[in-house]
Amino acid sequence: MLPSGLAEIVDNDEDLTRFLTSSSLFNAAGVKPAAFMPNPQNRETSVFRYGSEPRERLWRIGSEHLTAGRTLHAAAIFKARHVRSSQLDVVPQEPPPCHANIVGWPWSQTDPELGKSQQKELATLIAQQAEVVRR
Amino acid sequence: MPAAVSNVVVSGFTTLNSRARERSAISTEAQSVQQAAGDVVDRVERSQALFGSKSTAISQLWALANECADANWNADGALPIDHLSVYGAQALVRALPDETPLPEFAPEPDGSISLDWIRSRNCLFSMSVGRNNRLACAWLDGADSGHFVASFDGENVPPRILEEIARVTKGGNAPVGPR
Repeated sequence: MLPSGLAEIVDNDEDLTRFLTSSSLFNAAGVKPAAFMPNPQNRETSVFRYGSEPRERLWRIGSEHLTAGRTLHAAAIFKARHVRSSQLDVVPQEPPPCHANIVGWPWSQTDPELGKSQQKELATLIAQQAEVVRR
Repeated sequence: MPAAVSNVVVSGFTTLNSRARERSAISTEAQSVQQAAGDVVDRVERSQALFGSKSTAISQLWALANECADANWNADGALPIDHLSVYGAQALVRALPDETPLPEFAPEPDGSISLDWIRSRNCLFSMSVGRNNRLACAWLDGADSGHFVASFDGENVPPRILEEIARVTKGGNAPVGPR
């Protein structure tokens, strides 16, 4: 059991949230792939093991996670199984409480753009399944 | 454009425009002049409409770069949007053929800009413009997806990219609208 009380393995049916700090990361159709692209330094995508309800707690987690001065525009909600069906994985990493990372992104030292195009395809598959919750 | 030159251009265009709309020309020469004036007016109006929408898109690009100018803009270690990415995206927008719909833009954590043509969440084409001329691209069409890399010379949009945009904007195979 983790300090947050959550299980050490993320269940396939668990809801995950990716907080969206730019209104350009989503539109009326849904979440854009760019929202899920990994951090170029640690090659992971930060998410929280939390769904859309209760809404008040969702926005509190997001606000605590944000850099000062940034605006939280929305949250992308999806299931852990959508990450795994995209050939990636999600693993807990606390603190902060309920935090996890999407890991296993393809990367190429010899052809960075090819690696990135593979990442974009996987990000597209996750985005296809995600719901936008606007603040 | 200096004000004096600008006034001459506007004044000339206004004269041409009124000439093009005239319905009282009687000679063949006058009809030819009227036709030519009409063609010029149509071309200018078309290019103004096009330039206007591309110009709006380019303004959106710079606004996005400004919004994501600080490191960690996504609270997950993102790099600031690179100005080389903005220049590249700008060149690509300018190079798009007139009949091609303009993309939406999104910031990416490595400082690139994503250009997206989105028909629905099941049918889209996404391309990253970064610090160099190689474009990382991915597409989704229902249950099918793929990726590739294309090179952009700064003036001519690669044919593969135009094909993918056309496929998405014409519907692809995916059902349109939310799942």
